Amino acid sequence: MTRPAPDRRIADLAGAFVELRTALGRVLVGQDESATGLTLALLAEQHAYLEGPPGCGKSELAAALAALSGARTHTLVFHRDIRETDLLGDVLLSRHRHRGHERLRRELIPGPLLQAEIALLEDLPRSPGEALGPLLRILAERNALGQPLPLESAVATGPLEQVEAPIDPLEPGQLDRFAVQLRLTGLLTGGLFDEAAVLLEREAARESSRTAVQSTTGSVSAPEEATATPRAAVMSSATRKAAQRAAAALQVEPRTIDAYHRLLDRLRLRSADESASGDRLMSDRSFSSAALRLVRAHAFLRGAPAAAPRDLGAIRYMVAHRLPDEVQEDFDHILEELLGDPPNVTMTETGAQMPGAQSQGDDSDGAAAASPASDSWIDDQADLPAPPTLFGKPPPPAQVDPLLRALVGRIERGRIDPDTDPGGQPRGYRPLRDLDELIDADLIEALLFAEGRLPGAPRTFERKRKSAGGAVAVLRDISASMAGRLTVWSSQVVLGILRVAARRRMRVGYVEFHHRALPHQVGGRLLHRSYSRLAEQAGQAKAVGQTNYEAPLRTALEGLRGGSGRNRHIVLLTDGLPIIGDTTVRRERQLARRLGVALHTVFLGNGDCPPVLDDISLETGGLRFYGRPLTGGGLRLEER
Amino acid sequence: MSDLTPLRDLLDHHVVGHDEVKAALLLALITREHIYVEGPPGTAKTRLAEVAAKGSELDFFFYQLHRDTRLAELVGDIVLERRKVKTEATASGTAGEAERIHQRIEPGGLLTAEVAVLDDISRAPGEALNVLLRILNERRFGAEPIPLMAAIATGNPMDDEYYNEPLDPANLDRFALQLRVSGLIQSGVDEAKTLIDRFASGSVVEQPDPEPVTDRTTLDALNRRMYEVEVGAAVRAALLDVLRTLVLEFECNETNSLLTDRTFLVKAIKILRGAALLAGRDAVNLEDLAALSWMTTFRVPPEAHEALPRIIGRVSRQVRAV
Repeated sequence: MTRPAPDRRIADLAGAFVELRTALGRVLVGQDESATGLTLALLAEQHAYLEGPPGCGKSELAAALAALSGARTHTLVFHRDIRETDLLGDVLLSRHRHRGHERLRRELIPGPLLQAEIALLEDLPRSPGEALGPLLRILAERNALGQPLPLESAVATGPLEQVEAPIDPLEPGQLDRFAVQLRLTGLLTGGLFDEAAVLLEREAARESSRTAVQSTTGSVSAPEEATATPRAAVMSSATRKAAQRAAAALQVEPRTIDAYHRLLDRLRLRSADESASGDRLMSDRSFSSAALRLVRAHAFLRGAPAAAPRDLGAIRYMVAHRLPDEVQEDFDHILEELLGDPPNVTMTETGAQMPGAQSQGDDSDGAAAASPASDSWIDDQADLPAPPTLFGKPPPPAQVDPLLRALVGRIERGRIDPDTDPGGQPRGYRPLRDLDELIDADLIEALLFAEGRLPGAPRTFERKRKSAGGAVAVLRDISASMAGRLTVWSSQVVLGILRVAARRRMRVGYVEFHHRALPHQVGGRLLHRSYSRLAEQAGQAKAVGQTNYEAPLRTALEGLRGGSGRNRHIVLLTDGLPIIGDTTVRRERQLARRLGVALHTVFLGNGDCPPVLDDISLETGGLRFYGRPLTGGGLRLEER
Repeated sequence: MSDLTPLRDLLDHHVVGHDEVKAALLLALITREHIYVEGPPGTAKTRLAEVAAKGSELDFFFYQLHRDTRLAELVGDIVLERRKVKTEATASGTAGEAERIHQRIEPGGLLTAEVAVLDDISRAPGEALNVLLRILNERRFGAEPIPLMAAIATGNPMDDEYYNEPLDPANLDRFALQLRVSGLIQSGVDEAKTLIDRFASGSVVEQPDPEPVTDRTTLDALNRRMYEVEVGAAVRAALLDVLRTLVLEFECNETNSLLTDRTFLVKAIKILRGAALLAGRDAVNLEDLAALSWMTTFRVPPEAHEALPRIIGRVSRQVRAV
């Protein structure tokens, strides 16, 4: 057999990944963007993080990528009690005699995860940070126990940040290990009813369960996939690896680099405009090597001989956790604007070319249509803005992050360390105290202990839970002047506070007020942990009546009076001066000081903040915020 | 009507009232979906689950969840496999012997059962439940498929009076069928009298240990028949309209609801087929849509759940009119 011409071979390699992308796109209905993002991740040998609401097909998509690509795969489901050996491998315990004494050595033998080409990390954020740290480092370095890993891509899945989920979200620094970040939308909650109808039709046509014992994985998959036969790989390992090498070697046109610099500038400026939020990240790591690998992969998939400016479209698959939501939404627009307005393209048009790609023509954009690897989807995607559902819901008009961060800071300060709790997360080790604890002990040490070969007691997990202490009551002005946008904004503030409280298992109270206080009690109590019930109520508030501070403050303080501990907060949300009741709320301020309750005030109205709000906050050690209107109709909460 | 009539009779014999839970239990067995029943203590939740499992002669795993629930208690024992390996002499010592220690799980409990009763699921912390519920969902552990047909979970109401961990929404979504029960005596229904009479007459025993009235073969046949049940375009259109109404009119979204694609676009079709089969039909009709309210109990806000029969009625009329 003769060796195919280099350009032909390159086209075949690209064609294999186009086929992968097409097959992946068929796995789920209406999640084409994610299929493209995952394909690019594998081609560029980058890690990917998939997040989305439960049951939208995250795991299905990740598993399909692994199966279709023919890569050696290992799946790991993360949970609270995951251990080092699950992550790394078996233990090798060796004994050496040395000058009359015995030496025990404990080593790790690389396990299946460390031998995988694609690692599927399911529910990654559910693992305690202690277990995640080493794993994420291994992923980044692609090296473990002194050995380089065959790993090409790790694909992790995780839930959307949700009010009641008992998990701490991954930190931005941890998320940064995943160059590709994709957010899946549910068809129903995303309002994609046409796609939903297609899925219903598929399911109605399904004629059997997968196997005798497996009825369904519950995932959203096509009927032809719903048989006992697994998905067949669309490419060989050799093809996959050759394509990855070829994509990495692709030239990037100088005008692309120029456009990339300008794109980064714009993204940085827009991000600074929209939000000062520190939990967004444009790290050097991601935006230099990883980004350019993805841009090359995008061009390669398009069948282009070199990465053109339009291939910067690949950056959109990186931004879910790196840019503020508003900027993400606008990404395609920003890029389009940039590409439509190039400084001087004629000089660089024929710049860098891949050797042997002469048949593709000089103009990379024009070559796409003629290339065997081109496919309508990728051209559409480069030319048209992405559908509005790409990154989930429209951006919230109120920016509550600064308030929430300050509030969290205050809450954390008043909080005691996590309590020891047998149901908690493993947070380190301690010696075994009781034989009942053997189940939780380090198994190797337990083994040695049982054989009398361990001098002391085996170590066992020290489990801790974040203290469930603390309480926060939200008092929300619903007087007539709060109608319209203020209602929406204050709902968002309330929801944000509920989310913070839920993550810390703080009890919450919610009091709406106008001339009277309307506490939302559960089981006859103001403070409770029914977060979602309150979240629902907060979404339904109607503005009516006049403003009275005294009644709601009195109600909330009475509710907090029974409790103990320092970590008690009241957040007062209002847009105007109190008219009814004691407008100076003198007695309530006194009571708050006596109880040690911090009264935080948030002023949302136009004009000057009523001085009484400052007094309330200053006297009780609370925070003071006001809503600064943004151009474009949004609102940003800043400290007064 | 269906082959499960004997099982239904058995449930009726041992438990008074709770018609909906009984029907939903049968539906769970046919469709092989999991079911979550929430209610105060002493409302026959566990009893119903036990009678259903024993009455269908299925391998049965009962587990009472608690605060310290560990994975090993649910899936079997953790086993350490030890293999001797030779090591070479090093500078620090002579050639010695070494052991390679591999940790695995000897399948038991949930991994070998056909029906699992997970009692008081709300008592275990969400962190511990996650992996359990994932097994339920995927019906495999690692790469191995498990024979589980249905898990029946019970829980106490999410009030402060009970020691509870709120179920993580993603975890709750693993139970396609979700019902809320209340006590007969507490709610003062007529069946309360029957309940007391039956116990007084001794016709109901406290610890039921019924003989099987059906078996796996029957359930397997029903499951196969379920997939032959037709789901016509009209029913699909009506289902989509109901969902659209929940999203657009009742503003169900990712924050206040669990309106997941997996449940309402994939599993709903199975539930409707199962409901039709239980009613002795080979095609789903608009009446079967009523079964949707067994899926929405804890997934949508209470007012949307309560409005569901009305929504289904309205949508059905519109679909019929077309």
